[in-house]
Amino acid sequence: MEIVVCLKPVPEAETRLRVAPDGTRLDPEGVKYVLAGYDESAVEQALLLKEATAGARVHAYSYGPAPRTEEVLRAAIALGCDAATWVEAGAASDDPIAAARALGSAIGAGPYDLVLCGKQAGDDEAGLVAAALADVLGVPEFGYAVNVRWDAGRARLTLGRVTESGLESWETPLPCVVGLQQAWNDPRTAKLPAILKSRKATIGRVAAAEAAETGRTTPEGFALPPPRIGARMIEYKTPQEAAEKLVRLLREEAKVFP
Amino acid sequence: MSSRVLVVGERRAGAIADTSLEVLDTAHRLAGDGGVAGFVAGADGEPAAASFARFGVPLVYWARELSAEDSAAGRIAPTVAAVADSIGAEVVLAGGTTFGRDLVGYLAIRWNAAVATGVTDVQRDANGLHARRPIFGGRATETRRLEGWHVALALRPHAFPRPPEAPVPGRVETVAPVEPSAGWREAKCLGVEATPTGSGPSLGDATIVVSGGRGLQAPENFHLVEELAASLGAAVGASRAVTDAGWRPGSFQVGQTGKAVSPQLYIAVGISGAIQHIVGMVSSRVIVAINSDASAPIFKVADYGIVGDLFQIVPALTAEIRKVRGT
Ligand SMILES: Cc1cc2nc3c(=O)[nH]c(=O)nc-3n(C[C@H](O)[C@H](O)[C@H](O)COP(=O)(O)OP(=O)(O)OC[C@H]3O[C@@H](n4cnc5c(N)ncnc54)[C@H](O)[C@@H]3O)c2cc1C
Ligand SMILES: Nc1ncnc2c1ncn2[C@@H]1O[C@H](COP(=O)(O)O)[C@@H](O)[C@H]1O
Repeated sequence: MEIVVCLKPVPEAETRLRVAPDGTRLDPEGVKYVLAGYDESAVEQALLLKEATAGARVHAYSYGPAPRTEEVLRAAIALGCDAATWVEAGAASDDPIAAARALGSAIGAGPYDLVLCGKQAGDDEAGLVAAALADVLGVPEFGYAVNVRWDAGRARLTLGRVTESGLESWETPLPCVVGLQQAWNDPRTAKLPAILKSRKATIGRVAAAEAAETGRTTPEGFALPPPRIGARMIEYKTPQEAAEKLVRLLREEAKVFP
Repeated sequence: MSSRVLVVGERRAGAIADTSLEVLDTAHRLAGDGGVAGFVAGADGEPAAASFARFGVPLVYWARELSAEDSAAGRIAPTVAAVADSIGAEVVLAGGTTFGRDLVGYLAIRWNAAVATGVTDVQRDANGLHARRPIFGGRATETRRLEGWHVALALRPHAFPRPPEAPVPGRVETVAPVEPSAGWREAKCLGVEATPTGSGPSLGDATIVVSGGRGLQAPENFHLVEELAASLGAAVGASRAVTDAGWRPGSFQVGQTGKAVSPQLYIAVGISGAIQHIVGMVSSRVIVAINSDASAPIFKVADYGIVGDLFQIVPALTAEIRKVRGT
């Protein structure tokens, strides 16, 4: 089984957000890009499937500008991925659909059975790439997925999808795309020798396919909300008084219920 | 300026989801005199189609034969694209649920649309449509220009009001489905297990969320949070400390690696406010924190804070809410 994981480098969670001088996007100055959140989950899921399936391989792809893409791909190799490909993008790489089209044409050119994405990227939170990528490849997509397993005997992938109605159970043949929302409490971390070795690993490189003429989005504004001034602290002598005061504020000032 | 707008409705427990009705205001505003049409899929979709018609959609297309026993947007997207083309729609709107977000992802490719999710505001000017949306877990907002002939947007749940019922209901018309791609024919939804949220709404749907953290000290105390939630008709959430410890299943987790919520009211009980929790709830409209430690970071993002012992405050609050709301 050829497992593909799609990895987007995103600013680390602790990044202090600042507006770029042109006012349209995050100021990248001094930002450290990491493999974050759901993509970390996607790698962990890929490696767990690989360990449970004879002959499986994991191939990581990342679309975007260097050097951040190369850094996350090397991190993925250090964690145990077998191959990595950088899908080279120009400056205008911040449209998730451009990413989906470029990744789709790169992944579609090679062997693949299962493509794993994160549910959504930690920065733009679009949650679009998995579905769009699946449609580029012409295969089904299962987003918001947990508990992904491969039943080799029946040649079926089984998984759960967390929706507003509850937990859906699915089974599907391959190939397909899965958008993961699983969180592991203890995803593996890379060992030092593997990190050192990953520095010398070969990273494949393909140019992004030309973007479509229509259907793009361009960032034209980036704003930070005014800082919350901190909570209005409720003074009270008894718990009852605290409760009464809070409920009055919620009804009369915040108007969250009548 | 006007354009034709197709709104895609989602069924929930036999009726239409609130998040689908919430897109109607925006639909009418963007349509101008171009007109709004609705779309609903599934054999049991008629009540949902009828609600759309009742809430001011003049014509609702109902794809009865489309298998929509599940939330697989990829199965439904080809029919949505075909209906949009057949009526000359330029804009497709859906609620920003798991289904709606997936749907616009497919429409980006299949219908060549400029797309955005989690949208809290859409404006039109001479340069076209501009969508605003929170990013970085609500720590920033971006505006994007949508370029192209087609636009598909998933609007953020609870960011828009639900319209009133219209004096004259619209019509429902059936429409033939378009076959989804081959892979979908063999994919099977084996069933849905309702999220164990007690009797309350699910985290994603709820307009009020009450979450509990490690401050509750033991699983047998978690009922305090559930009773407060019940008094408010709220969904129950939890910090990762709680889900990791197995007090509640992972589906309750709010935060970076759990669910991101943006209700009208979020009440954090015994939660310290780690950044990974904050990013999942900071875009809630009003935030209340109850914590015994006055220096807990949760108070920095809260609107109202009570410093105190949750074991005393929470029961008093539940009683007070029951009193004023008669619940
Ligand atoms: C990669 C990664 C991803 C993560 N993702 C998430 C996520 O999605 N969601 C998430 O929540 N966390 C996440 N975490 C964990 C996060 O960092 C915190 O550890 C977690 O949120 C802490 O949960 P807590 O606030 O319940 O517990 P604590 O931090 O232990 O806080 C408990 C609070 O309860 C208060 N308290 C104690 N007793 C009382 C009392 N009697 N009355 C009132 N208050 C009391 C204390 O003052 C304290 O502030 C993630 C961490 C990592 C590293
Ligand atoms: N530039 C990219 N390169 C590789 N994978 C990506 C890229 N952008 C998005 N993805 C994948 O798609 C998921 C969802 O991203 P998004 O749709 O942008 O929220 C991410 O978690 C990644 O798995």
